[in-house]
Amino acid sequence: MGLSGLAIYKLLPKTNCKECGFPTCLAFAMKLAARQVELSACPYVSDEAKAVLDAASAPPIRLVKVGPEERKVEVGNETVLFRHEKTFYHPPGFFYRLKDDEPADAFAARLEAVANYGVERVGIELKADGIALQSAAGSADAFGERAAQVVSAGLPLVLIADDPQVMEAGLKAAQGMAPLIYAANAENWETMASLAAQYGAPLAVFGEGLETLAELTEKIKGKGVEDMVLDPGTRGWSDSLAAFTQLRRLAIKKNYRPLGYPIIAFPGEGTEDELEEALLAGQYVAKYAGFIVMDHFDPASLYPLLTLRQNIYTDPQKPIQVSPGLYEIGKPTPESPLLVTTNFSLTYFSVAGEVEGSGIPAWLLVADSEGMSVLTAWAAGKFDAERIAKAVKSMGVAEKVAHRKIIIPGYVSSISGELEDELPDWEILVGPREAINIPSFLKQFAA
Amino acid sequence: MAASVPSVQEKWTGKVREVTLGALPADGGTRGRTVTVGGENTLPFLHFEGEVPHRPAIAIEIWDHPPEDWSPILLEAWGDVLQDVGAWAKKAEEVGADLIALTLDSAHPEKGNTSGEQARATVRKVLEATTLPLIVYGPGQVDKDNEVLVAVAEEAAGERVALGNCEEGNYRTIVAAALAHGHLVIGKTPIDVNLAKQLNILISDMRLDLDRILMDPTTGALGYGLEYTYSVMERLKLAALMGDSMTQQPMIVTTGFEAWRAKEARVNEGVPAEWGDWTKRSLLWETITTMALLEAGANIVVMRHPEAVKKIRQVIDKLMTKA
Amino acid sequence: MSRYIAKAAIRGANLIVSEAEKMLQEAIKELGPETPVVFTNTAYYLPVILGFTGIEVQTLGDLQQVIDYAKKLLHPVPGDTLWLPYLGETLDCGVATLLAEEAIEGIRFARGLQPEPIPGLQLTGTSFTSPDGNSQEEEGGFANGPIDDVQLRAWGIQLVDGRMPGFAAIVGAARSNEAAVSIVRELQQRNILVFLSGNVNGRSIIHQLMEEGVEMGYDTYIVPFGTDTISAIYALGFATRSALTFGGLSGGQARDILLYNKYRVFAFVLALGEVDDLKYATAAGALNYGFPVIADTVIPQILPTGITQYEHVISMPFDDIEGETDAEKARRLVQRCIEVRGIKVKITEVPIPVPYGSAFEGERVRRADMRIEFGGRNARAFEYLRMADFDEVEDGKITLIGPSFEDVEVGGAMNLGILVEVAGRKMQEDFEPVLERQIHYFINGASGVQHIGQRDITWIRFSKAAVEKGFQIKHLGEILYARFHADFGSIVDKVQVTLITDEELFQEWLQKAREAYQARNIRLADMTDESVDEFYSCTLCQSFAPNHVCIVSPERLGLCGAYNWLDCKASYQINPTGPNQPVPKGICLDPVYGVWQGPNEFVYQNSHGTVERVSMYSIMRDPMTACGCFECIAMVIPEANGIMVVSREDPSMTPVGMKFSTLAGIAGGGLQTPGMMGVGKYYLLSKKFISAEGGFKRVVWLSKILKETMRDELQAVCEREGVPDLLDKIADGDTATTIEELLAFLEEKGHPALTMDPIF
Repeated sequence: MGLSGLAIYKLLPKTNCKECGFPTCLAFAMKLAARQVELSACPYVSDEAKAVLDAASAPPIRLVKVGPEERKVEVGNETVLFRHEKTFYHPPGFFYRLKDDEPADAFAARLEAVANYGVERVGIELKADGIALQSAAGSADAFGERAAQVVSAGLPLVLIADDPQVMEAGLKAAQGMAPLIYAANAENWETMASLAAQYGAPLAVFGEGLETLAELTEKIKGKGVEDMVLDPGTRGWSDSLAAFTQLRRLAIKKNYRPLGYPIIAFPGEGTEDELEEALLAGQYVAKYAGFIVMDHFDPASLYPLLTLRQNIYTDPQKPIQVSPGLYEIGKPTPESPLLVTTNFSLTYFSVAGEVEGSGIPAWLLVADSEGMSVLTAWAAGKFDAERIAKAVKSMGVAEKVAHRKIIIPGYVSSISGELEDELPDWEILVGPREAINIPSFLKQFAA
Repeated sequence: MAASVPSVQEKWTGKVREVTLGALPADGGTRGRTVTVGGENTLPFLHFEGEVPHRPAIAIEIWDHPPEDWSPILLEAWGDVLQDVGAWAKKAEEVGADLIALTLDSAHPEKGNTSGEQARATVRKVLEATTLPLIVYGPGQVDKDNEVLVAVAEEAAGERVALGNCEEGNYRTIVAAALAHGHLVIGKTPIDVNLAKQLNILISDMRLDLDRILMDPTTGALGYGLEYTYSVMERLKLAALMGDSMTQQPMIVTTGFEAWRAKEARVNEGVPAEWGDWTKRSLLWETITTMALLEAGANIVVMRHPEAVKKIRQVIDKLMTKA
Repeated sequence: MSRYIAKAAIRGANLIVSEAEKMLQEAIKELGPETPVVFTNTAYYLPVILGFTGIEVQTLGDLQQVIDYAKKLLHPVPGDTLWLPYLGETLDCGVATLLAEEAIEGIRFARGLQPEPIPGLQLTGTSFTSPDGNSQEEEGGFANGPIDDVQLRAWGIQLVDGRMPGFAAIVGAARSNEAAVSIVRELQQRNILVFLSGNVNGRSIIHQLMEEGVEMGYDTYIVPFGTDTISAIYALGFATRSALTFGGLSGGQARDILLYNKYRVFAFVLALGEVDDLKYATAAGALNYGFPVIADTVIPQILPTGITQYEHVISMPFDDIEGETDAEKARRLVQRCIEVRGIKVKITEVPIPVPYGSAFEGERVRRADMRIEFGGRNARAFEYLRMADFDEVEDGKITLIGPSFEDVEVGGAMNLGILVEVAGRKMQEDFEPVLERQIHYFINGASGVQHIGQRDITWIRFSKAAVEKGFQIKHLGEILYARFHADFGSIVDKVQVTLITDEELFQEWLQKAREAYQARNIRLADMTDESVDEFYSCTLCQSFAPNHVCIVSPERLGLCGAYNWLDCKASYQINPTGPNQPVPKGICLDPVYGVWQGPNEFVYQNSHGTVERVSMYSIMRDPMTACGCFECIAMVIPEANGIMVVSREDPSMTPVGMKFSTLAGIAGGGLQTPGMMGVGKYYLLSKKFISAEGGFKRVVWLSKILKETMRDELQAVCEREGVPDLLDKIADGDTATTIEELLAFLEEKGHPALTMDPIF
């Protein structure tokens, strides 16, 4: 539980010096309470205050970065067990496993496929995150060579090798790329820990059972390694769900430091079946993994998984917005009906879905309501006659639509009069309140 | 040096109610088996801290007339049985359904406007074709829902059919029909904890026992509002475990219907190459939606594709295995 | 309890029980004790007996124990001199009567004497709901007898889901055939089931309806049970079986069955013509079910409520009923029955000549398209809703007093007064303004009609198109009548609308309305948190702020400004399971900060454990959370030892360096943020506005729009707080947008906050 803005304010110098970039100490305190700024922005904070504030704001799960700055994968720093309690902050990275004994062509092709994968969804570019390079040949050279290949593709790396020598070759090739070392275990932890320290790389720790794992992380921490990632050794559905849930609860609810790190998961090791691998990866997205190492690269599974990740990691209090604009549903002609709605993604999807389902091509004008749904936006003045009129005028509607009839959501029927004032050439029609009634409305309308 | 890791087992005080669908001949029905869901006193599949006495059930959605607007992938998967609701029901049982979810789509005023009489005949046919318990949905239009569900309730008297959907504006007739003929109801509310609670209160105020009410929190498919449903279900499940009686109804979600409405599953024309193979993608669209909501607390999932059902059955098997 | 009724009922009970016993002995002697006793097409044995005693009567022999049971319930007829509270005895005898009557019908069935032959009676063929039907029906000539199970379920569903409001058990014969027809037609129109039995001197309402050619049978919802009083038992059998079928109850759960009927089956007994002892005894039995009795003759009344929801026995002598014709009198009689049983009228359509629906709410009627306007620049209109006693309101009466607008030129204006009078068992004077405000929405739903304003600044326009379609002033009444019933049926039982254009009367009522507005203003101003026992919650916003709970008190309205305490109270009456729930105050833990046990517990539970305490009057300690809908944000400014209040409508910079939108992000979400609070703007005027921190005197900065739009009210607050020039000492966006400017301003003006106790 963090401190309130007022409690923080009491610890600040209260001089309103503005050097932190905020006009008043209270404004700064409020931002601190919301964890939107760092305390270090205040040059005059006392040591005593610093101690109190740092303790209160230290994240229960350590933030771990892997990969070069441009494509870094940052996980951890989560504060809740359920997304509705606040939000999940750092989506897990999808890493595809390549083995260093694969033929060069095949290796290059798969690397390229992962590196180049990118697709847009609701205005956000979705990508695969990196490569998990596994030593299969047992050769340091081969491992180093392939690691260098991944580095030159600019992708974040997980390096998988048991032999410290092999591992070091990979680390050398990936200097400055902060690759994740997989993994320290009960036998090799000392060497792995020193490699991690030496190369400034985060270290995954493998230990079956939470006690074993906690023991290992404490020992490794003793060697000066701070950035760790946990592998509790579970591979299946039920055991992983139990272990990952317990790890998350220990960190969040008990503030248990030895296990306050992100988790790595290997869905491909839990099943032979490619489809099930994707489903298990889905469980890991929802339930607490930070790194997900996949064995099969296939856009048909990656795309749904990236969509799921986007869904789960959406801030419940900041809904996804759709870009305002004039959308074509089906293949509308200038005579097709024109509907208007808000740019809250869920509203857009339900309206667009129903229009599409009706089989009647139509124009859907999405006005900028700052991501609010119809009623909320209307109540907040973000979906009023003025805004709708602005959308009609600025989106080139008149050029694409020959008629002058616009259908507004039934819930805002009360603005029809004002909208007539704003759009004198237009006939304002009131549509149904709920999207589900759009198909029959359109059918009647078209008839 | 053995680390002592603190226990994180929760002591929940509440549990989800058990609800049984279907009635055996001894109990006034004709079903070959019954399906009981609910009863868990912990979050989904957390066997380490509580009991999950019943596995989530899979219902397969069938229609009373051939669905014209379904994805070609679905049409192909089912083939000829789409022409005959009895054959479809039988096939659904063969491919691994626990329950048959019959939608009386042809009763919709715009899709045939068939009568209560026809609904009776359809239900009779399905009851004879399968030994599984039934869920029966009206066409989703208030007047017709009431007309056909009342007829169905009477025709299937005593079978403990789950009748859906009751909504805040229209639940009384369906509940009364369930009361009169010994059925269950599904209460559907739009992604909101309080509305779900309220509808449960309203329905039970009509004296329908709480072990005869399922709640549908409204399903958003993957990419189409899944996160809203996911969170509302987690909140309902947490409230249930914390002892809030009116949130303790088992939850039913219509993942097949919603997932196959998504463009990603329905079509392949003019979509980006990055979406990948159509069949695999669409199967994953349905299964990932279903999987995510199972993890959020679904007790019954209503699905469409036989392969997807098979996968989800495997997943449930594994999730029900104690670690 | 009327001694007269008690005596008659007890007499009647004694007689019928001994008659039943005699009939039983004869029947057993003649037919043997093993002779089956069955009501056809039902699976509940003899249902009333089953319900009261749990006995499953299958043979004549089984009836003996029923008679024995009934005898135990009998009491001696009270003497003339002894004064006793007879209610218990009378009700017991009523039960005995019902048991005896059902036993008699059972015996008659065993003898093949039921259903009763009535020469010439044709029942309208039973539809598919009763595939078996009664075979004798086809030949005709028989009363219906007990309602079969299939029909029970079909009607039961309608009774349970509310489409069918209840049933009327009519016993006897009406004053005239005209009255008989009118009574059943009135009931039919309201979808109320009609059960017929009994006679007066051999003549039954069944005969009357037959003579008038009224079709009877399941299809017309009119069921003739028989021409004697005993056959009325089938009505109570129907009621009992409803409870068994739909209430999940079983035989022998007498109390639950009776309560089920009292609260869920809206039935009543209508006794037509002379009431004899057996009728009294049977009526006493019906009272047990919570079914009141209304008689059209002079009988003693039993008014206090208890067993029934409202009055028990009502006498409404037919001759004394207002009305020109028997038909009209009958209509009033039925109306009274409905009131006494508390049956709600369901109205689904608004009968006006133009389309009606929420889709037309925002429609404008422009001057060029306008036929007539009421109010506005050239005339005045007012609307006034008041509650009245039941007998002052005639439900559905819509009158226009004064001329219509034919003589007003196109585009002209005239005065109009809209007087809505409502009566309701749950209506309270406090709900008047809440309901009155709905008039705006209701009238706006008509296509071609525009409504603006409220109270005496109402402004209504009719379009030419609407008037061409036939829209008239009286249709406003139709709209209001229909919508108040449809939307506020839980509060309102009767609605009467008077539309006044007569100038003299208009002025008179305008005056009365203004007095009422004034009285309401004063009442609202006088209402304090101390004067009530409970506050109300609002959890409407939990859909997006899952842990936020508003506590609304008389002196602190909801932070969105849309719900005050009275609104919440009314909303709770309308929707008892909705987002506004009563929150009993409980023990006061801190009168200064406004902390009570009740709100604390409620908030803890409904914030799902995230908020443990809430102070109603403080911004610094445990302030109320906010959802995000607040009209204003109040926030402490430590440097100034005060607070600022920023309006949602104010887009400018505040002295703390954040605009409303940024502040909103911090204040919302259902988290307790000491030093910050979302409030409704009218809370600023309350005596309890952050009274723990010193009240309105703490306000050092206020959005200009608030200062301007609420100047008069705020000025009054300043005076109340003893600093009449306070408003000028409070900075705004023009005078201070930084802390430095603010402090300089406050110093210069000598703002009282600077010398108040430190705010923290």
